[in-house]
Amino acid sequence: MTQEVQVAAHVASPVLHGGTRWRRLPISLWIGGLIVVAHLLVAILGPFLAPYAPGQMGAGIPLSGASWAHPFGLDQLGRDVFSRVLHGAWLVLVLSLSGTILGFLLGGIIGLISGYLGGRFDLVVMRIFEALISIPVLFSALLIIALVGAKASGTLVLIVIVIGFVYAPRVGRIARGAALEISALQYVLAAKLRGDSAWRIALREILPNATGTLLVEFATRAAYAPVLVASLGFLGFGIRPPTPEWGLIISENRDLIFISPATIIGPGFMLASLVIGINLLTEGISRILGRTVTQRN
Amino acid sequence: MPLLRFIATRISISLVTMLIVAVVIYFATAILPGDVASRLLGRSPDPTALAILQKRLGLDVPLVFRFLKWLGHVLIGDPGVSLISGQPVAEIVGRTLWNSSLLALLALLIYLPIAVIPAAIQAIYADRKTDHAISGAALGIMSLPDFLLGTFLLLAFAAWWPIFPPRSTIDETSGALDVLRALVLPAVTIALVMGTYATRYLRENLIEVLNSDYVRMARLNGIRESTVLWRHAFPNALVPTLNVTSLSLTYLFGGVVVVEKVFAFPGFGNLLVSSLMQLDVPVIQATVLVAAAIYVAGNLVADLLTVMVNPRLRYQ
Amino acid sequence: MGEAGAILKVDDLTVSYGYPGARVAALAGVSFEVAAGEVLGLVGESGSGKTTAALHILGHRPRGATLDKGSVLLRGRDVLKLSQAQVRALRGREVSYVPQNPGGSLNPARRIGRLIVELLEQHGVVKTRQEAWARAEELLAQVRLPDPRGLLQRYPHQISGGQQQRVVIAMAIAARPSLIVLDEPTTGLDVSTQKEILQLLREIRDTQNVAMVYVTHDLHVLREIATHVAVMYAGRTVEIGDIDQVFDAPRHPYTRGLIASVPDIRQSNALPRGLPGTLKRSELPAGCAFAPRCEFAKPSCWRNRQSLETVAGSHMVACECWTALARGAKAHWLHGRTAAETGSAAESVLELRDLCVDYETTSILGFARSARRRVVHHVNMTLRPGEIFALVGESGSGKSTIAKAILGLTAPSSGEIVFDGEALAGDVRHRTDLQRRRISLVFQNPDASLNPHRTAGQILGDALRSFEKVSASEAAERALAALQDVQLPDSYISRYPDQMSGGERQRVAIARALIVRPEVLICDEVLTALDVSVQAGILQLLLRLRTERRLSILFIAHDLAVVRSLADRAGVLYSGQMMAVGEKEALFDAPLHPYSFHLLRALPGAALVEPAVPPKAPAGAAASDGPRKGCPFFSRCLVARPGVCDVADPPARRIEGAVLYCHAEPETLRTAFKFVPEDEPAPDRMIG
Repeated sequence: MTQEVQVAAHVASPVLHGGTRWRRLPISLWIGGLIVVAHLLVAILGPFLAPYAPGQMGAGIPLSGASWAHPFGLDQLGRDVFSRVLHGAWLVLVLSLSGTILGFLLGGIIGLISGYLGGRFDLVVMRIFEALISIPVLFSALLIIALVGAKASGTLVLIVIVIGFVYAPRVGRIARGAALEISALQYVLAAKLRGDSAWRIALREILPNATGTLLVEFATRAAYAPVLVASLGFLGFGIRPPTPEWGLIISENRDLIFISPATIIGPGFMLASLVIGINLLTEGISRILGRTVTQRN
Repeated sequence: MPLLRFIATRISISLVTMLIVAVVIYFATAILPGDVASRLLGRSPDPTALAILQKRLGLDVPLVFRFLKWLGHVLIGDPGVSLISGQPVAEIVGRTLWNSSLLALLALLIYLPIAVIPAAIQAIYADRKTDHAISGAALGIMSLPDFLLGTFLLLAFAAWWPIFPPRSTIDETSGALDVLRALVLPAVTIALVMGTYATRYLRENLIEVLNSDYVRMARLNGIRESTVLWRHAFPNALVPTLNVTSLSLTYLFGGVVVVEKVFAFPGFGNLLVSSLMQLDVPVIQATVLVAAAIYVAGNLVADLLTVMVNPRLRYQ
Repeated sequence: MGEAGAILKVDDLTVSYGYPGARVAALAGVSFEVAAGEVLGLVGESGSGKTTAALHILGHRPRGATLDKGSVLLRGRDVLKLSQAQVRALRGREVSYVPQNPGGSLNPARRIGRLIVELLEQHGVVKTRQEAWARAEELLAQVRLPDPRGLLQRYPHQISGGQQQRVVIAMAIAARPSLIVLDEPTTGLDVSTQKEILQLLREIRDTQNVAMVYVTHDLHVLREIATHVAVMYAGRTVEIGDIDQVFDAPRHPYTRGLIASVPDIRQSNALPRGLPGTLKRSELPAGCAFAPRCEFAKPSCWRNRQSLETVAGSHMVACECWTALARGAKAHWLHGRTAAETGSAAESVLELRDLCVDYETTSILGFARSARRRVVHHVNMTLRPGEIFALVGESGSGKSTIAKAILGLTAPSSGEIVFDGEALAGDVRHRTDLQRRRISLVFQNPDASLNPHRTAGQILGDALRSFEKVSASEAAERALAALQDVQLPDSYISRYPDQMSGGERQRVAIARALIVRPEVLICDEVLTALDVSVQAGILQLLLRLRTERRLSILFIAHDLAVVRSLADRAGVLYSGQMMAVGEKEALFDAPLHPYSFHLLRALPGAALVEPAVPPKAPAGAAASDGPRKGCPFFSRCLVARPGVCDVADPPARRIEGAVLYCHAEPETLRTAFKFVPEDEPAPDRMIG
């Protein structure tokens, strides 16, 4: 007879209660948090701090490079790039966050339900998810924008919808995996045996235990969203000019790279620092929760 | 026999996935705003000309039949002709696919050491200063959007220290050395992006392997450390390497759109962007389908290799 | 011990974990010696430091461990002072290691032959490659593995767990070391496999003149192999001596409690006593570490550090009170049962009639395949009101599947589950609330069965509210009462599962099952994940609940000793088929069914003589695939008759108090399987 000793299946996230575990927070969480808070402040205060209006031409001599008056230099139209970056800061944050949330609402709900229910429904959902995931992120995004056509293209809502649609199947796959794993655990079985409704089981037994996985996934996706927004802008499929969206600014100043590199390095630095901040935050969260960050694709 | 059955199931799943992709792409592009025919003929087309063109394009047939016909053609390798240039789509896609494959190959060659060596160092010195330093550097590179990374490389190695061309345009006339020079910067960009992601994943897996009972057993049996690393740990870490590389394949052919644009490289991503701008439907369909097929095939190959490499799975 | 020929001499080994300022002692001055031909058993519960001690003997320091002082002298050389290269040369050559988990310890990507050859070559045992392969084959033959040559080319996962452990043992003796460290080498194996492995280890002990350190939590196993024993508690050696001295006349209260915690295999109705509380390393007193759990502790025990004092000869104990304490282990509680407690044969609360369960294999694409595997085959049994019915079997015997079927998680393919006169629906979703409430389940692993995000109070309240509309205050009241029922303090109502010990969690799980006032409690291997001293408390709890509430308990277990101490009646399953069912005395006091005999004989410390029929070579596990024909035990049965037993299902044969499913007549079985009466000492006790 085998001693059927099972190792505790801690798929579930460790519980943080009593405050005991918050004391030794990882350093990455602090740094990441600080960077993200700084970006939030820039987003809120940026328009007031900016020395020039975003579209104001002739703020200085065009293409004159970086100086104390124009830290990020001036673009071809003589607009102050630093001011444009400050004015556009809220855009990238709002677009990324709303897009990611939309993706989570769509993908998370479908994924959790699919994983919990299992069976044919799960099978069909998973095949569709797989098919959608197999189309590269940027391809899907560009395709959706092209499909919507000229009327809606370049609007903020469209970008949010694009991020949501691209993320949904990817988040859905993760959520489904988490639900599937948790559903197999004995406390879910106990609830099923008592005859609890699927809704109650999902809310009480599965969701709280999937939050760890979902949180890490959310942070990972949120870190990529600004890149996606900027990439679309860079390719000319994003927000329309003259909106001071960072990717668009970088794209507009691309030809200046050998003349006035500050016009690219400036917004580039802002974008990169935001992503680094969110990534550090993710790293910290996942370290607390004791899990590894998923691959983006 | 269970192995054969596994392969058969795995292939059939891939086919189902591809079928769904084909359906999604075809029907999505079919609803493209502004009937393609009317777009081609300009703002106020002559009704008879429009009808003739629609007939020529097969737009008068019900959608489902058009789809089946298209699918049949795709299956025999003929996804039609470009609406813009009139060239066969297969030819256009094939040319860029060749370019992209060259880029992908070079990127993969650079990527492997970038991914594996730091991960191995990190795993051996897990949770020490070296590990943290590499982790930090990887996180930094990873956080840099790829088009920025490319732009900065361009700035450094094409502007300040001009050893590589600023534009990676190549065609049939380019010499081998020119092609290679053109490929280096984009390939390094791609390899860095892929490599930093892979490193994190590999580090976790290597640490897991190094902490496994069998590695501990080998050490407690007095086996030399080099043997432990190469004979005991490495083969078991190969599987995760394969998996993460296969996931990167999709990035190599689909995600590098912006990198291609940065370097003006005539690759797969650029083809999609230009065909989307011109609404060249047959080209769009083929490009997306091929990109998806590469992803699906990559996953399939990785799964099969995993089974081949891992004797435990092989005999199950 | 203590002769000049000591191979291993561990002296004052002191090891701690953690950072300066926040140190936790793992080992606090552990000393012992082992000579060639001796086997020293290191015994203790989880957290006693026995594995840490064993790893230090191999010169292996676990991550985060700091050596504070002490030495490990292996043939006079201090292993802890050697360089990395010297330690490497020592390991596998002078001292080798047999781990608990052979499956995980053999590299899945490498062939068995390569692993052994590599070991032989790296330690310079052989000169040429051919010699290495020849020697590897010899070694596999030496550990009694069938077809050694073929085995060399196979991968570890292709052989059974017992065979894997034999391979590991072959590697351990490959370089003829003078010391072998074994860390729970039979934990996780079936009893019959365990018996064979122990036999092999005894042979090695007796023929190879090797010293062994044997780490285990299982006292019965120790008695089968060890010549000496060191009892460890919280990183300290509390008692040490010859195995007979320690086991027959234990002096330390912990040793006595530990021995009393183990169910007696030779006695029915003897309930183990257990120890109060659990080992909490963060709350150790300055004095005797065991004082918080000791019933004899005096105020001075909490203050004074205890050191080993000689009792007689090499027998030493670290307890200042030992002279004042009565000798010997505490007796087990004998519990009887009255007819009033258990129902009569006519009554039944739950009945399985001809139950069959098949598993269907489904492909990934979602099309059901015709491939079916039968896991439960025409099982009949009755659970009477107020009785404890034990379902016994090895892993894969289908006992858990039967529980799933009763609970409605797996639909039977045929047959009926009758509860209180009504046939139950196959799917739990089609059962009434009342039916669901009346059958409750306690899971094997309390770590996985409690939602980590909810407190004990919430967990109990959730269960209650599934069946009754209760106010918040009433729910809290009922939850408190349920906690009291399982002897947990009221404060636990606001604790999360990770703030409790394993035993406490299991109590909450039992409270959750009981709060809805069920009539039938299904306990699925509820003791497996717990330490022995904690197991005893759970057993007592179940017995009390049965008596107080007239609860009917279906107790699923693999441990025959526990079953004999607790159950009223039992059913023995093999490969999904009932082999014998009836009063436990009729089944186990004088086992007649060949399989029951086989199980009991394999138990370490069991008092049975060899059967009158010649023993068979150990066959592999029963084939579970393919069409079922005849008796599943046929290939391993000592009295099997080809042409009869492998053709038809065994018929039911009624004997006094039980039904046996066997082709052989009870008379034939009676002459084939002789047994020793309970009160005689076991003749085959293996004491060196």
